[in-house]
Amino acid sequence: MNFRSFILGLAAAFGLPWLCLIVIPVVKYQQLTPVAYDKDKDGVEGMFPPAPINAQGQLVYVREGCNQCHTQMIRPSQLGLDGWYKGWGQDQEARPVAARSNVLRDYLSEKYALLGIQRVGPDLTNFGWRAPEAAALHVHFYAPRSVHDWSTMPAYTQLYKLQKIQGPPSDRALKLSKKFAPPAGYEVVPTPEADRLVEYLLSLKRDYPVPGQSAAVAASPAKK
Amino acid sequence: MQTTPASSDTELQADNLRRAAIDKSVKGPVLFLFTNGAFWLMFSTILGVLAAIKLVEPEFLGHAPFISYGRLQPARINALVYGWGVQAALGVMLWIMARRSGQELKHGKSLLITAGVFWNITITVGILAILMGKSTSIEWLEMPKFVWPVLLACFLCYAWPIARMFGRAFRPEGFMVSTWYILGACFWFPWIFITANVALHCLPGLGALGAGIDAWYIHGVILLFFVPVGIGAAYYFIPKITGQPIASAQLASAGFWTLAILGGWTGMQKYMGGPLPAWMTAVGAATGVLLLIPVGLVGLNHHLTTLGKHSAVASSPTLRFIFFGALFYPVSGFVLALNSAFWTGSALQFTQSWYSFQVVSVYGFFSMCVFGAIYYIVPRLSGCEWLSVRLIRNHFWFSVYGIGTIVVMSLVAGWQQGADLNNPEHWDQNFMNHVVNSRAYVVSRAVAWALISFSNLMFLLHLLLMVAGLGRRSSAPTLLHREHDEHALPAHA
Repeated sequence: MNFRSFILGLAAAFGLPWLCLIVIPVVKYQQLTPVAYDKDKDGVEGMFPPAPINAQGQLVYVREGCNQCHTQMIRPSQLGLDGWYKGWGQDQEARPVAARSNVLRDYLSEKYALLGIQRVGPDLTNFGWRAPEAAALHVHFYAPRSVHDWSTMPAYTQLYKLQKIQGPPSDRALKLSKKFAPPAGYEVVPTPEADRLVEYLLSLKRDYPVPGQSAAVAASPAKK
Repeated sequence: MQTTPASSDTELQADNLRRAAIDKSVKGPVLFLFTNGAFWLMFSTILGVLAAIKLVEPEFLGHAPFISYGRLQPARINALVYGWGVQAALGVMLWIMARRSGQELKHGKSLLITAGVFWNITITVGILAILMGKSTSIEWLEMPKFVWPVLLACFLCYAWPIARMFGRAFRPEGFMVSTWYILGACFWFPWIFITANVALHCLPGLGALGAGIDAWYIHGVILLFFVPVGIGAAYYFIPKITGQPIASAQLASAGFWTLAILGGWTGMQKYMGGPLPAWMTAVGAATGVLLLIPVGLVGLNHHLTTLGKHSAVASSPTLRFIFFGALFYPVSGFVLALNSAFWTGSALQFTQSWYSFQVVSVYGFFSMCVFGAIYYIVPRLSGCEWLSVRLIRNHFWFSVYGIGTIVVMSLVAGWQQGADLNNPEHWDQNFMNHVVNSRAYVVSRAVAWALISFSNLMFLLHLLLMVAGLGRRSSAPTLLHREHDEHALPAHA
């Protein structure tokens, strides 16, 4: 083997997976576009996926590294029980119906899908369905341990402003329990960044029916 | 060949002079990389302790945003990978390639130092940016996107002379497995790095495919950069110190080419069951298991080479580190296979066992081999011997116990997390069980990183003393067990 064939060998060994796993899928991905629902078959109208992601709020999520502990990916039933968790999809209140696992188009409008690194906290793929109202979510970000005393979530106090109450208290002030409340005469209000983050999380509803699959198929566990 | 005794004194002397000239020619850049790398390693392991504590007790040291887990963890992993890993690897690659190909570094020394300085400045800026809240949240590429072209240029400044040395000394009939691995690492890293950065930073959004490419990137860097450098160092130093030739050239060649062929396919199984096309994750999972073949071939070869020479492992610091590093290679392959295989992977997905793989391959395997190499290389460059057997011994044992703890604990924790996550009885409960059950494992992780930080402190101090020229003035190397003199080592060990 001479020098040239050695280098060629190195290039070929790596070039094949590079071409098949990266280059061709990337080129093909560029052709992926939203598709329209068929009213007769799908029972709904409009486009799939229906709305682009809330990119501004996602920036805060990215910046704080939320994906270190939260995934955004529901696995099919043969891999895990993600879809069966209460609130991890739509309509799972009384009787568990598996939320569908995700498809490529669910993340179509995202620059980089934050599928996650570890699942230290619960999955957020469809968090919008189970989320409490915005005010409660703000309290959760400001003082996670006021919601669950076992929580290991960091407190994102930098997204909130501690200010002196001047005149009537702000109607946006966080209603904190005694232990976490600011000193008397002060109040905690969300910054615009905190609002964006909450809007983003409330918008996470990725279990819209997939065109071409009836709602029943979409809801049932994926076949192996 | 350095391992065959020279026939006469003059020849031996000429040989030694030639080696000394080669060492002198690469001294500046190599010592620069090692010292800076050791500082980054120290930084990374201390932040590792802090990150583990913050994962259990988020109120520790207050709520300052730059020490929240979401920023701390990427910052310290980037410090480990780019600050320590790539830098130390480049130092070892440059030295081994120069020695193995018998070439002096003719010119461009100042360019190499400049590239090294720029590398460190860029990493510093990048890691500060993560801590200040400019992270991209793309695993292992969290530094802002202006960072990567600089890093690439600096890397190429080193890769080019290494490849030139290889090219000049290439002999079709001679089999030089350590340089094969090192050239492979030189060749693949820029390719992987450019691909991932262009795809994730320059192309318009790739959505979920981007996440898959990122997982591929991480495994590519581990399997086609860190692993080849580690194996290359092991193949170079094990025969050199034991005085045995490599047991089987066929095994060595097969181990190399199977790694080269399989390494690029794996990684995307991290998101199996996810939005990626199923064949991509399936191919990744299959190769993740098939990689046991190169792992087994290399492991068998090292085992056969060191057979009957274990007393040298006890006495030579270099061999001891490399021997244990090489033992961690099969462990890392095994962890990867567990994460990849469908039966175990479904339980271990998104758990600490993936962290276990990163730590065992980057720290347990790669870094231990590089420590061994550094214990051999630095005395030859600084002209003095390591000061203290005790420091080396402590560095070794604290590292081994620390890594062992992290790997075992993370695997068990991963299994526990997976079992909790897939427990049907938890379907309507909040995440309390998962959080509470994994707490103890994260505490053990904090303790383990503290042990490793302690070991690195000794390593860093020892290295700084050596670089300052304050080592022992002696012609005899620092060995760990003097009483084992009956298994006398070759003079150059």
